[in-house]
Amino acid sequence: MSEVIVITSGKGGVGKTTTTANLGVGLAKRGKNVVLIDTDTGLRNLDLLLGLENRIMYDLVDVTEGRVPYKKALVRHKKYETLFLLPTSQIKDKSAVNPAQLMVLCDELRKQYDYVIIDCPAGIEQGFKTAIAAADRAIVVTMPEVSAVRDADKIIGELGRAEKDNISLIVNRIRPQMVESGDMMDMSDIDDILSIKCIGQVPDDEMVVTSANRGEPLVGNPKSQAGRAYDNIVRRILGEEVPFMTFEKDGLFTRLKKAFGM
Amino acid sequence: MARDLIKIKGVSNGFQLMVDSSADLTQVQEELERKLAEHPEFFPEGTKFQLVVADLHKSVRQGLGSYLQSKGLDLADSTKKVSTGAVRPNTGHANADNAISQPNNGRNEGDCQQVMKVINRTVRNGEEITSQGSLMICGNVNPGAKLVAVGSIDVRGNCRGIVHAGAMGDYQAFVVADRLMPMQIRIANLIARSPDEPEVSQYAEKAYIKDGQIVIEPIER
Repeated sequence: MSEVIVITSGKGGVGKTTTTANLGVGLAKRGKNVVLIDTDTGLRNLDLLLGLENRIMYDLVDVTEGRVPYKKALVRHKKYETLFLLPTSQIKDKSAVNPAQLMVLCDELRKQYDYVIIDCPAGIEQGFKTAIAAADRAIVVTMPEVSAVRDADKIIGELGRAEKDNISLIVNRIRPQMVESGDMMDMSDIDDILSIKCIGQVPDDEMVVTSANRGEPLVGNPKSQAGRAYDNIVRRILGEEVPFMTFEKDGLFTRLKKAFGM
Repeated sequence: MARDLIKIKGVSNGFQLMVDSSADLTQVQEELERKLAEHPEFFPEGTKFQLVVADLHKSVRQGLGSYLQSKGLDLADSTKKVSTGAVRPNTGHANADNAISQPNNGRNEGDCQQVMKVINRTVRNGEEITSQGSLMICGNVNPGAKLVAVGSIDVRGNCRGIVHAGAMGDYQAFVVADRLMPMQIRIANLIARSPDEPEVSQYAEKAYIKDGQIVIEPIER
């Protein structure tokens, strides 16, 4: 049974695209057939995070306007054979694709692939409405920050109005040290407002930046806390019960080093 | 604070209109116009008004009647009993929020029925819920959400949004919540905002008007 999942957030910069790339790679690593659709037309990034920019021939707009069949536009990942990217146009804007077109496309993709993951643009306008139209399930990404949580709340309301009932939450870029000292919202503060099922808590991790620069998502990388957290999310999506990890905090020595700016 | 010349209260089949009998027609009309313009969503075409002042000058009454008629609204004669079978005005919202009637206990302003709208979910950032009568939310009201009711508001959960009870000038309206920590509380034309250092309230509280000010006190429930 295939599933269409939209990754959304309202606010920009919380890690929608990073999450999409990591979940896609994670699912492919576990043998699933996965298509990632970038719907952030005009500001596409997903291809960069996957390191596939130089392989793009056609894009989403070519497909929805019927110029090429979708098979031609799909870019196979260089490492994971069951992972495909459907990039969007960098030239057009959000009005180039409408909800009905994406729904038709997703219905086609459903027949071939286990998971279709849609990377939603920031905002609540047309791009957002197009991205969520075909989704069976929505994953809202937020950060422990008042503005991100406030926007996530708005998005959950919007999803409700669009009759998307299967909504879960990923809290990204948690800084355990700050949570502990009371300088950052903790999970209970976030749950208090959003009150939806949480399927992931991802710590802030410098390796996310380096992996993005290299175009290799770090899901499953045992050296990275964020990599392990993303792997846990993949397992939860596949229906496993995985307990939330406890974050390792920096040791005294590392903290001293940071304090002295080393 | 100037006294309101007119008061509007939601009842089951429209609104009660209370008019200060000492006022003249132009003043009353001006104020009515302002109130209708503030919340047009409460007054779809065909909404019934019921005048509940006995000694109002005939010319004022007639003037009001024709004014409301020009707006597509309806002024019923106060001497006539408004039939219970009258159509309840549509709230104009397409959602499936259900409205129920509730006896108006403890208030001795005639034997009118007040409408209560019940929302059985979390009200989220950016949502606005209005009610021609009272409003009950079984769920949280999140920051950025707004509740506006002609009557009172009851939140069975955390109340963090903006709440406006007695939106048409009912000073008896109140706001109750399990945890009352809204950004603003408005009752009739008074506004109170939350302290800049918000604290988490531990018990159910009620906000109402006392001596021309919004006061908050803990309640049992």
